[in-house]
Amino acid sequence: MVSRWMYISLVILYGFLLGPFVIIFMASFGANANLAFPPQGFTLDWFANVFETSQFIDSFWISLQLGLSSTIVSLVMGMPVAYALTRFHFAGSGMVETVFSAPILVPGLVIGFAMLNFFVLLGDMQVMTGLFIGHTAILFPYSVRVISASLRNLDPYVEDAAVSLGANRLRGFLLVALPNMQAGLAAAFVLGFITSFNNVPVSLFLSGPGVTTLPVSMLSYLEYYFDPTIAALSTLLVIFTVVLVQTAERVLGLSQFV
Amino acid sequence: MPHLEIHNLTVSYEKNQPTLKQFSLNVEQGELVSLLGPSGCGKTTTLRSVAGFIRPDAGQILINGQDYTRLPPNQRDIGLVFQSYALFPHLTVFHNVAFGLRMRRIPKEEVHNRVANALRMVGLEAFADRRPAQLSGGQQQRVALARATVIEPQVLLLDEPLSNLDARLRVDMRQEIRRTQQQLGITTLYVTHDQVEAMSISDRVVVMNQGDIEQIGRPESIFAAPETAFVADFMGFDNHFNAAVASVRDSLLTVNWGDAPIELPWRSKFGSAQAGAMAEIFFRADSASLLAGRDASGLAGQVILHTFHGNEVIYLVETEVGEFSIMQDSDGERFESGATVTVQADTKKWIAIIEESEL
Repeated sequence: MVSRWMYISLVILYGFLLGPFVIIFMASFGANANLAFPPQGFTLDWFANVFETSQFIDSFWISLQLGLSSTIVSLVMGMPVAYALTRFHFAGSGMVETVFSAPILVPGLVIGFAMLNFFVLLGDMQVMTGLFIGHTAILFPYSVRVISASLRNLDPYVEDAAVSLGANRLRGFLLVALPNMQAGLAAAFVLGFITSFNNVPVSLFLSGPGVTTLPVSMLSYLEYYFDPTIAALSTLLVIFTVVLVQTAERVLGLSQFV
Repeated sequence: MPHLEIHNLTVSYEKNQPTLKQFSLNVEQGELVSLLGPSGCGKTTTLRSVAGFIRPDAGQILINGQDYTRLPPNQRDIGLVFQSYALFPHLTVFHNVAFGLRMRRIPKEEVHNRVANALRMVGLEAFADRRPAQLSGGQQQRVALARATVIEPQVLLLDEPLSNLDARLRVDMRQEIRRTQQQLGITTLYVTHDQVEAMSISDRVVVMNQGDIEQIGRPESIFAAPETAFVADFMGFDNHFNAAVASVRDSLLTVNWGDAPIELPWRSKFGSAQAGAMAEIFFRADSASLLAGRDASGLAGQVILHTFHGNEVIYLVETEVGEFSIMQDSDGERFESGATVTVQADTKKWIAIIEESEL
């Protein structure tokens, strides 16, 4: 009996989780001019429309550039912080850890709004620069967390062993710690990129004329049109994300870090 | 000249470890010296200072007469074996062992030969291409030993190398480490909290407590003649009691044991024995015997517990000076709980310790 109830609740749970995707997926092939369910007819026109709308193509490239650059910079910055937090116990290290996780806890809208005000105060700043700084800031705590997890899996004495065998501290880190952090770094990269690529609240505030991320341009498209183009684009994005995560999971065993 | 000299080493604070107070020790070429003590006694701090990972507040470390005190750890020419082995997970056994030689820019061919020799010595030549995760604990330990010795270091340091192994493997590895150390004639410091391990592997044992040396000596002398109550307790003297010294004659003193006075060897780290002083008397469970009934030849008591251990029976006997556990052959006379017995002392194996505070 218990297993039957568990089975039923599992079906309901997955129904709620996956149902919307199924609807969007089906709607993206519908021939109606308005987003409707159940869809009538079958067409690939909406997919074609995605690629013909320059707004989407431009913002896709911006999101891609933004995701890659902010993820890489947050990893480079996160590594020494994660290293210090896991390898040394200093006065206030718990405090530092809490401060670094603040951007995870504070609502994205608040961060975006605060940054917009801050950047306005700073004066003339390129929209792209603002977006880059904003995204790097929200990715940074994720980088620290994931890299810390991979460092905690590594015996801290391996670097001492390398040093006792004649390597200096830097070589010990490069030759022993870094190769063993590869999987953690890759996991942090995938997670960071997806977080940046999907972010709406921070991008919403920091976007400017002509420089918009893909999710924000989808949002503004929806304000004017309610056709299945958005459904088609959503379907493409879901496939993109699933492929990315699946590849990372297969190659690296992502789940042990998140 | 000793090969490794430690002079007045003082470390006040490092990672919550206690202070090391004016620690001095000389180790001869090819000698294996154990640092033995409970956790937090400063033995690992000493080892890490010699390795160069801890910068001492005061004192000197000399190897071959050369001052090592301020030398960075990667320039020290010291082989280190860790409790966790600390093998490089991403490298094969071969490359783990080759690491130190690579750092020394030794030509490839020589690296090959020396690694092959080192692996042969620890019986792992067939495992050169494995990763550490594919090896058993004992094999990982051997790789760690090969990695630390292949560089032919001045001094080999081992930090509780056997504590992650199960009991049987520990005895085998102990012998293997000792054999390797003697084959290479390498000066070695060995940190452990296990007194049996320390005694069986060492030329000399240093018993440490709270950053201080309690006693240095050959395993036999530490086992038989501890100088302090701490060492006696740590070396497995099961029973102790306090007694007033009746008289002193050279290296023997007399205390009362029931109606019979007994003569015991005495030791003191700080002073000498005097009549009237208090001595703490130590003896192991196997250095006393039981007689049925009350007898003038010993101290009377009552059996309150007996436990069977195969070849021996251990009795817990309550007497007027304390409770003692006493081991008897199980095929000798047996006593039930409540029986009155006389405890006879095998005083050659007993020891009286005079502590500083009682002088």
